[in-house]
Amino acid sequence: MWRYKPLVSPRLVVTRRLALLTLFGGIGTGLVLCTLFLLTQGMGLSDLASQFIGYTFGNPEGLDETLTRAISLMLVGLSVTLCLRVKFWNIGVEGQIWAGAMAATAVVLYHIGPAALRLETMFLAAMLGGGLWCGVCAAARLYLRANEVITTLLMNYVGAMLAQQLLYGAWRNPRDSFPVSQSFPHGARLALLGFGHVHAGIFIALGAAAFCFWLCTYSRVGSMAHAIAANPLAARAVGVPVARVVLLMACLGGALSGLAGFSIVAGEEYKLTQFVGNDYIFPSIVIAYLARANPLGVVVAAIGIAALYTAGDSLKAFFELPGATVLTIEATLLFCVSCFEFFLRYRLSFVKRGRMETP
Amino acid sequence: MSELLSAWAATTPAFAAPFLLATIGLIINERAGVMNLGVEGIMAIAAVVAVIINLSGGDVALAIIGGVGAGVALTALFGFMAVVLRVEQVLAGLVTFALGIGVSGYLGDGFQNQPVAGISPLPAAWFARLPTFAAGILDQDFLTWFAFIAAVIVWFVLTRTGPGLRLRAVGEDAPAADAAGVPVMAYRMGAVLTGGVFCALAGCHLSLIGAHLWVDGMVAGRGWIAVAMVTLSRWSALRAIAAALLFGAVEALVPQLLSSGMNVPVYFIEMSPYLATLAYLLIAGLFQTGADARPADLTRPYLREERR
Repeated sequence: MWRYKPLVSPRLVVTRRLALLTLFGGIGTGLVLCTLFLLTQGMGLSDLASQFIGYTFGNPEGLDETLTRAISLMLVGLSVTLCLRVKFWNIGVEGQIWAGAMAATAVVLYHIGPAALRLETMFLAAMLGGGLWCGVCAAARLYLRANEVITTLLMNYVGAMLAQQLLYGAWRNPRDSFPVSQSFPHGARLALLGFGHVHAGIFIALGAAAFCFWLCTYSRVGSMAHAIAANPLAARAVGVPVARVVLLMACLGGALSGLAGFSIVAGEEYKLTQFVGNDYIFPSIVIAYLARANPLGVVVAAIGIAALYTAGDSLKAFFELPGATVLTIEATLLFCVSCFEFFLRYRLSFVKRGRMETP
Repeated sequence: MSELLSAWAATTPAFAAPFLLATIGLIINERAGVMNLGVEGIMAIAAVVAVIINLSGGDVALAIIGGVGAGVALTALFGFMAVVLRVEQVLAGLVTFALGIGVSGYLGDGFQNQPVAGISPLPAAWFARLPTFAAGILDQDFLTWFAFIAAVIVWFVLTRTGPGLRLRAVGEDAPAADAAGVPVMAYRMGAVLTGGVFCALAGCHLSLIGAHLWVDGMVAGRGWIAVAMVTLSRWSALRAIAAALLFGAVEALVPQLLSSGMNVPVYFIEMSPYLATLAYLLIAGLFQTGADARPADLTRPYLREERR
């Protein structure tokens, strides 16, 4: 019937050019699809340009919103990235954000540590909380063979519900009995940088990105992680301490998400609210994937996704597009990028039927 | 107290049914070696399409058909990514989840919070001869009944028939199944789509029976719970009934407790099924029980050209 049949064969070598080509091919296709979709919603090209580029980067108000949101997005993107480096699926960043935010809030509410070092104590407590939240899942996978996709996922709910219980119970604001914690005193807030809501957390996020880049590219642990991701059995055979490296990377990843929680409560909200850890799972995965698990790429991707949210907010206000727009665009982008990866991993050729069908 | 108990028991099956439908759908997927994390999105899109059709004058049958059609269309997209293009299944599932939630938010934007007729329980007269307590439990709607019957049928097909055996072979050892002449791709795709039908039915159940309306964020993580319940029921559709009843019972308990005015830590109670599943996973790992129930080739893509 068909004279040619498709033949899929795995690629053994991937050139850097092909890798870049598929990545930008995927992003480009995704953007074109999203643009076409938004054009059918009654928007003109000039509207799109002014909303997505003009407002998010050109307008001080928009840029402020973009950068502020990018801080926590960078941290969760780095979190997923570190875990991906050892093939550990961290889809529990929300739980880790809750853990970090709760730990930081506990430090404030119970006056833990010297008052002069309040912020530093909160910083460490948040890292500890987030790291623990992810670390137990990594330990469960390494020693008890529990699938990390399920455990990190479940820990999201445990974290969120623990926070709700505290907010409706012991931590409820005594003044007006709303389910939010007391406002943090000034000593427990991250300094504003004099540009809108952008706070000192941006240095934490950029520092974390630089650290992760060093860790993945130049450190011993990074090259061991590379070996583990390629083939865990072979890595173990040549003496790489697989369990310790995976545990370390997962704990560090969790700690970064915990820091995201810290930056939200100490830099944006100044209190623990019911909405601190909402809607971070999918963006974190998108950012890590668009960056191809490169920590410096995460910085760029996080700013891009943050801009998407900024534009989404103004689209909601001016064009009455539903809030689901941003999620749909993110999903379309990731869909295209992951589909294009097919060409990265496989070679697709068409061979004539009836002849030798092996290349 | 006994009133509370009987009200609790009578509402439990309807709370358990969506969990059960989604879980058996996922069991069919995972037995063939495909992990579908997109259930949440599939349920959302089925729920919203069913409500839109019901609101626009279509009857219940049409609403269910439409909802299932939309859910299966989204599942087909997942199957294209995960089975045909061999994208990492976790990633493909997350994309499906986000697409489903996003698109359903779009479709349902003008239809939020509008009550639908939905599906009513079976006529009470059918159960009039039974004691009140039993009648309360048994007097459910047909979709809830279907969920429990389907679980038994799926268990039978998967474990006692030829196609079921081949499906499990594809999930346990795809290269061996391929060598034995089982079309791996066709079985995986078939399993994904069949599973999608059940997941979509779970979504229709949520909107047409549970809530009688559509509102954004309505699925509220139930799809993710179903993913965890597959592990809890150790990939067996029969044990899925018990797992679904456990989660359903906890979910049915909370409104009863709230309406009775008792002062209880609601969020701790809601947290308990998650903790139970986590504890189960850890205990199963500790004693190495049930570890073998996980299909060996789960999430592992198969390509004949790169045979191991």
